[in-house]
Amino acid sequence: MNRKTKKIAAGLLGGLMAMSLAACGGNASPGGSTAAGGSGSSGSGGGSTIELAISKSSQDSIFVQQDLLDSFEKETGIKVNLQLLPAEQTSTVLQTKLAVDETPDIIQYNLASATTDLNLERNFEILDNEPWVSRLENKEVLSAYGHVYSFHLSQDTGMQGVVYNKDMFKELGLTVPTNFEEFLAVCEKIKAAGITPVFMPFKDNWAANVWPAAAFADYAEKNDPTLFEDINANKKKWSDVPAFADILQQQYEVYEKGYTNGDILSDSYDMAVGKFLNKEVAMMFMGDWLIQNVNDNDPNMNLGVFPIPYAPDAKLGASPLGGQLFIPKKAKNMQGAKKFFEYAARKDVAQKIIDEQKFVSNFSDVTTPELPEYKQEIVDNYITPKKTVLTVDAHMLVDRSELYRLLQDEFAGGIDAQGVLSGWDEKFAQLMKDKEVEGF
Amino acid sequence: MKISRKLYSYYLVWPALLIYCVFFVVPAIAGLYYSFTDWRLDRIGIKFIGWDNFERIFTDKTLLLAIKNTLIFAVATVIGKNLLGLALAVGLNMKLKTRNLLRAIFYSPSILSILVISIVFTPMLRSEGTINRIFESVGLGFLSQNWLTDPQIVIWTVAAVSIWQHAGFQMAIYLAGLQSIPKDYYEAATIDGAGAWRSFRSITLPLLLPALNINLMLTLIGGLKVFSEVFVLTGGGPGNASQVVGTIILRSFGEGSWGLGTAVNTLLFAAVTIIAIPLLIFMRRKEVSE
Repeated sequence: MNRKTKKIAAGLLGGLMAMSLAACGGNASPGGSTAAGGSGSSGSGGGSTIELAISKSSQDSIFVQQDLLDSFEKETGIKVNLQLLPAEQTSTVLQTKLAVDETPDIIQYNLASATTDLNLERNFEILDNEPWVSRLENKEVLSAYGHVYSFHLSQDTGMQGVVYNKDMFKELGLTVPTNFEEFLAVCEKIKAAGITPVFMPFKDNWAANVWPAAAFADYAEKNDPTLFEDINANKKKWSDVPAFADILQQQYEVYEKGYTNGDILSDSYDMAVGKFLNKEVAMMFMGDWLIQNVNDNDPNMNLGVFPIPYAPDAKLGASPLGGQLFIPKKAKNMQGAKKFFEYAARKDVAQKIIDEQKFVSNFSDVTTPELPEYKQEIVDNYITPKKTVLTVDAHMLVDRSELYRLLQDEFAGGIDAQGVLSGWDEKFAQLMKDKEVEGF
Repeated sequence: MKISRKLYSYYLVWPALLIYCVFFVVPAIAGLYYSFTDWRLDRIGIKFIGWDNFERIFTDKTLLLAIKNTLIFAVATVIGKNLLGLALAVGLNMKLKTRNLLRAIFYSPSILSILVISIVFTPMLRSEGTINRIFESVGLGFLSQNWLTDPQIVIWTVAAVSIWQHAGFQMAIYLAGLQSIPKDYYEAATIDGAGAWRSFRSITLPLLLPALNINLMLTLIGGLKVFSEVFVLTGGGPGNASQVVGTIILRSFGEGSWGLGTAVNTLLFAAVTIIAIPLLIFMRRKEVSE
């Protein structure tokens, strides 16, 4: 290579590097400009499109049903384009899209996870002044940091506890256990009848969190109401609470005593419906959505849910509402996105969806239809007498994946209950520090 | 007519050089820079934080476990794939009627997608799966294990699956090497009274060194960069028991810790370079010509 060529090559290389570094830096630091209002190009008019990003695993969401999208387009002229994201990468893809300003106009996500995974305050539009907000019965399920950030028609949060086969209990002459000793006795009788008492699909490590998430919350509400505030301010640690270790140990005991499926770390959540349908198992620590899934396959299955029996008179865990819609601050067609919310919230449209889905309506002028039996029982026995408690997930400010891994490790024999808590303390502190939460 | 000394101009290298720079050199240099920053999903702006990310890598128990697992996987697969590959190559270089069929059979796993292999192996490796049942049926029940859920052995199981999949590929390279060794050497050795082992040690091995070098490099670099096998078979679990550097990088990016993820990646790049290049130079020196 002669000198001239070398010079040109060096110059070109240098230029390229500088350009790429500048480009990366630019993307990484969007500079805090909010671009609120999104005075978008396509504005409020007919003929425009809005992009709606949703996880593939949520494809059955009511907001992406074709007849809703078609009727919305017919009325407003706005077409909704769906962006289906791979289930296991939904958060990563959305994080990246938000970071590089390639935002969809609407995102479906869970509110609690959006606050920990997607930086709600920085990335999403506040919806306090939208016309449908004044008709909401329960603003809380759509709000964070004192503002309405999301949209949904339902206020029915999933209930978490022990899902059980009521017919099986009846046949074996069992009653719902109200404390841990009674629960173990029930397990023993079911086992003696040749049925697996509890199905633990802990290959999916999040499933190991249902027992502690409800029990921790109930314990804190009754014994130390400011516990989660203290933990989030680094005044207390998870491992400082002996009852937490006891609760984790109880779940392990159920496994240790042989009351579960044999290979809990190889069995996954998607096997659960089949296990109940085949009457192979009697109980599972899970949310009431499982009952709906089982009944979709066999409406004659008679399942119910009772609170995690870690202590007497425990309350039923209520998970934060999921599947809300959000509008990113940098949505290109913000007006179109807002119109979509207005349309779905309109009395006649909302009533039709709520009737079909048997939702608990969140709009004062939209009536709730007759609920399925199991749901009516939850309403009568737990929601109306206020015997529910928001699970720990509602208090957690950071990503919980590592906690799930630690719980799984407990069942793999890697660590004990106390080890789970001290391991989580370490990771929790690191995540809170990364998030720049005061006190860490 | 004057014939140009050079057939092609150097300018023809530019398109390739440009692509190489844009898609490798620049990201590598940018990655090196970002590994010294606190680049995060939920931060506005990027701060230079010196060696903090690397300090975290070497103090975080999970990250240390991932490094240990990566080394175990790399060493186990280098040894396993090469020993098995060489044994298969020597065996299938002999005059057998079913030689071509057997070569195809042993090579075939390496063209399968790792996802397919995961779907086949995951049920087989369950505690009541085929492998344990076979052990029990032949009276070796004591060898039954929780292959994918016992934290003590899970990384070895993943390594074994990888060896099963790729040994056939290594075999193909060794076979090519074996077929390039002239038969006369063996005939001369036989006349001189050398046995099979002596012929293997004094003729086959030295002349097979180029193939051995390629195989060692490929398996070592592949072993240190392991990701897909762990991701599809265990997802790094149970707990964090089978995390490797590759899965930690994915996890760090998933958590929004982009600076940390880039630092782990930089470390992996450095480790592969530091281990592979001296080994390559050392092995090259050992090569002999016919």
